[in-house]
Amino acid sequence: MNMPKRTVKVLCGPGLVLLALVLALSAAGASGSKELKTIVIDPGHGGMDLGAKGKFGTLEKNITLAVSFKLKALIEQNLPYRVVLTRDKDIDVSMENRSAIANNNDAVLFISIHTNGSFRKKAQGSETFFLSLDAPDEETRKLAYMENTSSELEKRIEDENKDEVKTILWDMAQSAYIKQSSQLAEEIQKELNIFLGTENRGIKQAPFKVLKGVACPAILVEVAFISNPEEEQKLIKDDFQRKVAEAIYQGLKKYTKLFS
Amino acid sequence: MDRTKAILFFVLVFLLVVLAFIFFKNSGSERIKKPGEIPQSAVSTQAPIEKSTRKVTLFFLREEDSQLVPEERDIVSDPSTVREAEAVIAELIRGSQTGLVSSLPAETKLVQLFITKEGVAYVDFSKDLVDKHPSGSAAEISTVYSIVNSLAYNLKPIKKVFILIEGEERETLGGHISLDHPFLPDYSLIVKE
Repeated sequence: MNMPKRTVKVLCGPGLVLLALVLALSAAGASGSKELKTIVIDPGHGGMDLGAKGKFGTLEKNITLAVSFKLKALIEQNLPYRVVLTRDKDIDVSMENRSAIANNNDAVLFISIHTNGSFRKKAQGSETFFLSLDAPDEETRKLAYMENTSSELEKRIEDENKDEVKTILWDMAQSAYIKQSSQLAEEIQKELNIFLGTENRGIKQAPFKVLKGVACPAILVEVAFISNPEEEQKLIKDDFQRKVAEAIYQGLKKYTKLFS
Repeated sequence: MDRTKAILFFVLVFLLVVLAFIFFKNSGSERIKKPGEIPQSAVSTQAPIEKSTRKVTLFFLREEDSQLVPEERDIVSDPSTVREAEAVIAELIRGSQTGLVSSLPAETKLVQLFITKEGVAYVDFSKDLVDKHPSGSAAEISTVYSIVNSLAYNLKPIKKVFILIEGEERETLGGHISLDHPFLPDYSLIVKE
């Protein structure tokens, strides 16, 4: 290479500055988030999606956001975790984006917060869900997944069905965490019963859209029924919302101790 | 000789015209029939005077504990599973006669129903099922499984149920239960008594 010396110098100057900058930035980034693992809290509904509605006009989307803020504060004050909310204001967030936020942040726990709704006003109580797998279908999918070598997969992704393949892969994400998710649900449900005194509807499994693609233990809490006027009155109270946050916080704290 | 030939020719043409008429008339009426229906021309022409009925067990919601509770009902029995399935859905929408809750809003209309060879019933509802739905996990679970269980329990050929809204696959009814797959019945949600 016969590059004139001056050119090399000229190139080296800004190059070194840039290199230093990049190093400094990455070091700062690493030290900032090195130890702190992320918990993602998902305030149910939002924006145009109001969720369930109470007789007195209370909207589920507002209650879930209020509880999520309280829970975030509790966790960050007392536990060595960073908390990311899937929304921190009244906006629409798609189901895919909710789980994507968890996966992109390498979340170790995903907690979706909801208030329940039914057709009439009698239904009451609190319950915690984790994902159910439709066994035969999952088995087929798993087989389809195993049969695809990675190169074949890549080739497929080149094809037009890029999104579909991605969805199938993400759809499987939660199936690896079902056991832990059920333990997390159990711990949280116990605390809901203690703190809220609402009827214990137990832990249940159902094919929740928002849980399917989450690649870490994930649960969905249904706190009381907003469609029940008595429980709606509780849900709008700041004190009750604080208790909900406290209950979930205690539950997840106990769960994390099981695994440390 | 020429005359008999001519007569024979005309008779043949006449016969052909008559045959063609009958053929097209029949195929026309075939086309009107809904897909999946078994053509039962022999039965329908004999037209039984009294329609026979059969008992079906519908599953309605008991709100207090979100359990599905069986309620028996008579529907017109039909050799077509599709017709009987349509009758089951109609009864679910009509609602309970014993004070239970129908988890299909009263405004809901059944748009279409068909059953694949593999036993997946595609049940297409009007948008009212979404618009008039109260949302909430409990409500969505009861809607899905009152439909799925009521169909699969009474109609042997139906193994799974896929719920559609106005001809299209929908993500969820109100943000909870994923509708992107056919459901197997879940009889654990039925009250044990």
